[in-house]
Amino acid sequence: MGTKLDARGQDCPKPVIMTKKALEEIKEGFVICIVDNEVAKENLTKLAKSLSHDYDVKKNSDKEFHITIIKGKEKIEELEISTPNTFKDMTIVFGSDKMGKGSDELGELLMKGFIYALTESFPYPSSLIFLNSGVRLTIEGSNTLDDLKKLEAQGIKILSCGACLDFYKVAEKLVVGEVSNMYNILEEIKNANNTLMI
Amino acid sequence: MKETIFYVITFNSIHHAIKGEKILIDKGLNVRTIPTPREISTSCGLSIKFYEYNINKIKTFFCSKELDIEGVYRITKGINGKEATRLEI
Repeated sequence: MGTKLDARGQDCPKPVIMTKKALEEIKEGFVICIVDNEVAKENLTKLAKSLSHDYDVKKNSDKEFHITIIKGKEKIEELEISTPNTFKDMTIVFGSDKMGKGSDELGELLMKGFIYALTESFPYPSSLIFLNSGVRLTIEGSNTLDDLKKLEAQGIKILSCGACLDFYKVAEKLVVGEVSNMYNILEEIKNANNTLMI
Repeated sequence: MKETIFYVITFNSIHHAIKGEKILIDKGLNVRTIPTPREISTSCGLSIKFYEYNINKIKTFFCSKELDIEGVYRITKGINGKEATRLEI
């Protein structure tokens, strides 16, 4: 699981200190730090190099850089080639852990394939919302976790419905994204230009 | 920008892709089904993805008679997109 830091507005060397501390706290995984200037970005890539960690830089605008630093060897192969990070103002709502109607086995496979394809298709949607049995995708044991974590690391907002996690008694098993409620979900849907219901 | 290399096994039927994934996972190998990359044209939309370090362990599986394997491909993903090369098995 990754740590996300927002170091925008922080003076040098605060972003580096924050990131270094976050990296020390984890055994393995990634730390993603958002900064708002070139110098801070450079300092973070220098930090990654000095620690011999793999890293990745995304420039969203002149005032927004996402630096992902990966700790631990196993994750490197999973950090596949990245394309400049671009987002489409779009929310995808997952109302089920299966895609389409018909065979459950096929529905699960299609969902797994769909989320994998999301990691490879640009621009990314800006947020993903998981409702009802859809929350099974964001919890422990889900076969889409690696892909969802990858999407989260790229800055995509991932929200799971709290009532749904509670209903299925899996709230403590959430491993990717945040818990949300219907007000946040509604806002997210209203604010996006496009909402796609899966 | 670095290149990423992985491999995929394609099948002539989605049922064989599903079965293949189960067999390999039961053997403790790190594989997964993915939608077949567009660079490979096949009739079945799902294929099994694996990485180079598992190739020797998976090789025996290529010749499996139980499963209808269409082919094995090396996928190179770089800045100019993906490239697929069919391997001789």
